[in-house]
Amino acid sequence: MRHPKRVGRTSVSGRKVRLATAAMLLLATTLAACGDGQDDGTKASAPKAPATIPELTKDPLTLSFIWFDWPPAHALEDFANAEYKKERPNATIKVNTVPNANWHDAMFTQFAARKTDFDIAILDSQHIGEAVTNGNILDLTDFVKKNIDVDAYNPYLLAAYGQFPQAETGKRDENASLYGLPLLGDTWTMIYRKDLIGDKPPQTWDEMISVAAKCQADNPGVSGLAFHQANGSDAAAVTYNTVNGVYGGNLWNAKDRKIDGVLNDTAGHEAMDVLVNKMKPLTAKGSGNWFIDEVNAAVAQGKACIAFNWIAASGGLLDPKQSTLGTSREQILGKLGFATLPTQKTNLVPLGGMGMHVSAYSPSAQQAEALNFMRWFEQADVQRKWAAAGGVPARTDALQSPEFLNAGPFNQVYADSVPRMRDMWNVPEYARLVDIENTGVNAALNGAKNPKAALDDIAREQQGVLDSSNRKGGGGL
Amino acid sequence: MKDPVPLTTDRPGQVVSATPPAPGRSRRRLSDRGLAVVFVSPALLLLLGMSVFPLLWALYLSFTDYSATRGGPARFVGFGNYTAILTSAQVHQRALTTLIYVVGAVTLQTVLGFAIAYLISRRTHGRGVLTTLFLVPMMLSPVVVGLFWRFMLDAQFGVVNSMLGSLGLGQVEWLTRQRTALVSLIVVDTWQWTPFIMLIALAGLTAVPKYLYEAASIDRASEWFRFRTITLPLVWPLLLIAVLFRAIEAFRLFDLVYILTSGGPGVSTETLSFHVYKVAFLGFNTGTASAYGILMVLVVIVLTQLYLRYLNKLKEG
Repeated sequence: MRHPKRVGRTSVSGRKVRLATAAMLLLATTLAACGDGQDDGTKASAPKAPATIPELTKDPLTLSFIWFDWPPAHALEDFANAEYKKERPNATIKVNTVPNANWHDAMFTQFAARKTDFDIAILDSQHIGEAVTNGNILDLTDFVKKNIDVDAYNPYLLAAYGQFPQAETGKRDENASLYGLPLLGDTWTMIYRKDLIGDKPPQTWDEMISVAAKCQADNPGVSGLAFHQANGSDAAAVTYNTVNGVYGGNLWNAKDRKIDGVLNDTAGHEAMDVLVNKMKPLTAKGSGNWFIDEVNAAVAQGKACIAFNWIAASGGLLDPKQSTLGTSREQILGKLGFATLPTQKTNLVPLGGMGMHVSAYSPSAQQAEALNFMRWFEQADVQRKWAAAGGVPARTDALQSPEFLNAGPFNQVYADSVPRMRDMWNVPEYARLVDIENTGVNAALNGAKNPKAALDDIAREQQGVLDSSNRKGGGGL
Repeated sequence: MKDPVPLTTDRPGQVVSATPPAPGRSRRRLSDRGLAVVFVSPALLLLLGMSVFPLLWALYLSFTDYSATRGGPARFVGFGNYTAILTSAQVHQRALTTLIYVVGAVTLQTVLGFAIAYLISRRTHGRGVLTTLFLVPMMLSPVVVGLFWRFMLDAQFGVVNSMLGSLGLGQVEWLTRQRTALVSLIVVDTWQWTPFIMLIALAGLTAVPKYLYEAASIDRASEWFRFRTITLPLVWPLLLIAVLFRAIEAFRLFDLVYILTSGGPGVSTETLSFHVYKVAFLGFNTGTASAYGILMVLVVIVLTQLYLRYLNKLKEG
């Protein structure tokens, strides 16, 4: 009797042939993909933007930005659509926003794909090195020479938001290339309760701590201090870096690329001790994950005597709808004061803010429009209007203008702070350096690590990152 | 003259071809095997394109120092990435955190899930409504769950501390202290995924034949005896499969950590998946991250195999 052949089964040799074919197909695809990767073997460098803006399209066009979600992002979109449209009616401005914690990833994963859905990336000053080294943004040096009045700026502000390699603190290297232009200047302001500690803000860091301690003791339910402590973004790192600067410490020796032994020198340890053992006990319980919004909430609800926050994020504090300190802006201002940071061994303050950078993967018509927008935005009268709309300009004339100084009680603080600014490391390894510092400082602030050990670990790990460029395998650990 | 061949059989729906295809017909009919290939190939191609190829590509990258943002040639580093990961103190720390989390969360979920299922199975009325209500957390996005638990667990403004306060208890720093942060993660995950275990256990419990209980009642067996000798042995294999699924899910936990603690305080709640994310996207060390991912897959495969063998043994027993 003959058995019917089983459907769906083939001979062993047939199956082997098919398996081999499938394997070869996969191998071929993989190798093809590998080959593609190796074609990128040329050394990456930023492509140059033309010195002269190419002819602009007359067709409708949307110029897209990418930023993180905070009030200045919405202010920029409103301002640009209202004002830029007067010059370019066919252009619409769209500011795409992502949560702050995803900001770096959202931009650089698109850069990695060599395709971006934005034309202008708003980079933190420390992101420039990574973007330039990878060839993700245009070199604007020639464009700036021809279209921008560089003498109208404080040299360090121009350098901080555009220059790479990084400028020395307070200076600009005129021979270095520029890859961006300032969009929004920023620094920390000290916010203090005039009704609790008096009209005169503390002048030194030590005085500030003792005033906060007294205020906390005198006002049950109100904590002495509120500041950034979270381990996301650059929150806890900026806090430590600020105290480090004020107490005379250094983040690194840029020339020798040395962190270990510099960050954790005597001044560095003193700063960590002040932060963890003197400032942290004056904060609210559970504030170990606070960032911009939580600090603002504590101030608005009258729960902090002295707080530190970015100026660009402080506008909401004067909104009676968001505050329990008063029913009008004037009432709130009767209780809240804004001052430059107290000094101690130095008068350094953290440099915040961001610049505009043109995506190297944006279509040429969009790149031309982006350059035109930047040229337009950096004009004196536009910078003044930007200041009046709630922005923080970088041009000196706009910073000194009544439009800016009268727009908010903290704007004078910014103008006074410009000569005192210090930035972090603007190197391709920035994202890892700041993560190490954030997690280390956050651990020390929340009792997960001894402060001294935490600072030594941060310095050692950061040095490991800077030294690991020639390591064979395991990069990123 | 022969009878004509019937065109249909006795069985409805089954059609028998009366004559072979006419010679010279241009269209060839597909064989069963051909049809099978046609139907299977879209899914197969999708699987190859979306799963197999990326896995092989990641495997290739895991032996290189490739970086997705830096571009440039992918230099071969042999087992360098694997050695670095396996000997890294950072990875060991994250592995321990993940282990504590997986054991804590899955144990709690299993005990609670089975207990709830057992109680529901004994009810005759409202069983459907209760089951549906219990399943709600499982249907929510982990990001949404993370966000509202973050607000609820906030030490200053959260409802949990507010309730503790009204009971005269002190404030607890749920998300910013080393011990409580991991416990909070376990609690939130348990809140969301206990219903999964409950659902599987309920299916097992309702499938236990009633006559076994009836026989036990006739023998005047106690409640505990019935549970120990009838209920548990019959539901146990199904429960173990649910545990397997949950353990695999918990092993690759990322979203809750990202939303609730960002891995903090410090790195004390950083799980392996969260660490892979940092390696992959903060420094864009694609080669190392690929090796890290491959090792995690291997761990899951090996542990699953051991577990399945145990399950098979249990079945044979």
